[in-house]
Amino acid sequence: MDVVDQLGAMREGKLSRRAFTKGLMAAGVGLTTVPLAARRARASADDQATFFTWGGYDIPELFQPYEASNGALPNFSIFGGSEEALTKMRGGFVVDVAHPCNSGMPRWVQTGLFQPIDVSRLSNWPDVMPELSNLPGNDAEGGNIWMAPFDWGQTSVTYRTDMFELEGEESWDMLWDARYGGRLGSLASGGDAWWCGAIKAGVPFDQIATDEAFDAISAILREQRPLIRVYTDDTTTLEQALSSGEMVAAMTWNSSAVLLQAEGIPVKFARPKEGALTWVCGVMVHKDAPNLDRAYDVIDSLLSVESGRFMINDYGYGHSNARSFDEFDEQTLANLGSSKTPSDILDAGHFQIPQSQDWETRMNELFEQIKAGF
Amino acid sequence: MADTSLPSTHVAPVSQARGRGLSAFLYRRESVRGYLLMSPTLLIMSVGILIPFLILLVMSFWTRDGFDFDTTPTVNNYLRVWSEPIFGALLSRSFWISGIATVVTVALCYPMAYYVAFHVHKHKMMWIILMTLPFWTSYLLRVFAWKVILGYEGVINSGFMAIGWIEAPLEFLLYSQTAVIITLAHAWAAFAILPLYVSLEKIDKSLLEAATDLGDGPVARFLRITLPLSMPGVIAASFLIFIPTTGDYITPALLGGPDGAMIGNLIQLQFGAVNNWPMGATLSIVLMLWIAAIALVFLFLAQKAREKIA
Repeated sequence: MDVVDQLGAMREGKLSRRAFTKGLMAAGVGLTTVPLAARRARASADDQATFFTWGGYDIPELFQPYEASNGALPNFSIFGGSEEALTKMRGGFVVDVAHPCNSGMPRWVQTGLFQPIDVSRLSNWPDVMPELSNLPGNDAEGGNIWMAPFDWGQTSVTYRTDMFELEGEESWDMLWDARYGGRLGSLASGGDAWWCGAIKAGVPFDQIATDEAFDAISAILREQRPLIRVYTDDTTTLEQALSSGEMVAAMTWNSSAVLLQAEGIPVKFARPKEGALTWVCGVMVHKDAPNLDRAYDVIDSLLSVESGRFMINDYGYGHSNARSFDEFDEQTLANLGSSKTPSDILDAGHFQIPQSQDWETRMNELFEQIKAGF
Repeated sequence: MADTSLPSTHVAPVSQARGRGLSAFLYRRESVRGYLLMSPTLLIMSVGILIPFLILLVMSFWTRDGFDFDTTPTVNNYLRVWSEPIFGALLSRSFWISGIATVVTVALCYPMAYYVAFHVHKHKMMWIILMTLPFWTSYLLRVFAWKVILGYEGVINSGFMAIGWIEAPLEFLLYSQTAVIITLAHAWAAFAILPLYVSLEKIDKSLLEAATDLGDGPVARFLRITLPLSMPGVIAASFLIFIPTTGDYITPALLGGPDGAMIGNLIQLQFGAVNNWPMGATLSIVLMLWIAAIALVFLFLAQKAREKIA
């Protein structure tokens, strides 16, 4: 009996009971093998706020106050790089809250896709460190601001202390070490990798827009490309590769090193002698946010001490709420590579400087070509 | 009927007459009936495919201007595709990868379809269902499954190391073109098995008996009867796999690594991080034209081959 036969038999009303039962069984097997994930994704209610963020921030630990007042977690949508996120929103993707970093913020504001944040609606705002919200371009009308700072940290090299034989000091050279060709990893987003390339090439950030800087950085990244096993925006991929020994060193954010250490993997988040890349990220509200009240709940939840404690302790990032740091003593903070004074960390490294849209596009275009081998 | 709900019976004949007029109209005009039958598909085709395609076509002649588009028509994008090596290289790599994947898939699925068509006499339906069962799961899950199988500490590597065949994990398995080809060949197998099975099933068994009676051995019989008669299935399977895999995006993104990127990834980047939608549109159009050209050449060759056999 073949497929056509069965259909024909059904049309003529001659489908035998056995054949019918068999058909039912096939349908049943089919239904049970349909992945359950789709069903779970649908369960999140439409009326919750949508948070458009980097991978790793879509976790319940950061939304305890939100969950307490709204009964559920917000919806999450994930991006790999902030340029990708901006393009998606310019294409008409509407979210409530998005998560850019200081280097992109002025350009995000220019798009006119966002509204200033009414800080009087945020209960945790008085505890936010002023030096973090006081970023270039972050002032709007009436004392409100565009981007509420949330997390700050570094991009540096996480390496296996048992596998990577250090020659001298920790340095960005580790990611260019030919001894470990094919066992090095990198973030795929130019927003991190290009700036790290600039540090390695010795280009000062205030000259990063010159043609010479483009030449120098692309030369250094082309030199690195054959050594890289994979470029990815998925931090889990890098963490798994470091943990299995597939990679011995990779460009990561603080969180990867802290997470791996918590699992007992011998890794270290390098303090390169040239300085790490430092950044402040925050949240912005979409001008057409469909759930504005809950958007403010999302922000307030992110700025809360509960979230701060998690960010500092489990991810090793800095948090924007000054009171979050009171939960830790100096020694613990030092072990986590953090500090109560953001400037200690931010000024010790190279702080990203906002660039023009033309620069971003040119950089991304070039970096994608380099990654593809050209 | 509408007339039963109306208080006056006066209206009834009129509406019936109108109904007769409409059915008479439909009866007379065969083309109208045809269009009416097609109308749902036609609507979806025009709204979902034709209009977006036109937008894509128009956009491919624009240029990017910061956040906006410069809508002066220009062929600069096409010239760039022609002159800059990255586009040509990724296009040819895509055709290479998906070409190999197509050949491998069809070659692997042919024996399976053949077995069910000729050697299974009971429960054929069940066999087909069992063969296509893995493909009832999400495509993404299957790609991730291959990541687990091919990975550094994956099933293959840890298995081989446990047996003692290899000392260190094989690194070429993941993040390579090989990984992409293996995954594509598995992920699209269902699209090869079904058309191959249908074309093999249709073959008249008496032709095979006749060939045997006239002295053909199993190999000659296969080459002279079975293979030529199943060619439509082979061609359909090849098209069904080659066309979508050339533009595949998620498999090379997850398993390809730096050297396994395909044209689909480049197109995605143009609409994403690189932020050059007109260039992305141009690449999509160029890809479509190339696929169309390759498909025509393939059809032509298949036709020639069939004529030669006949």
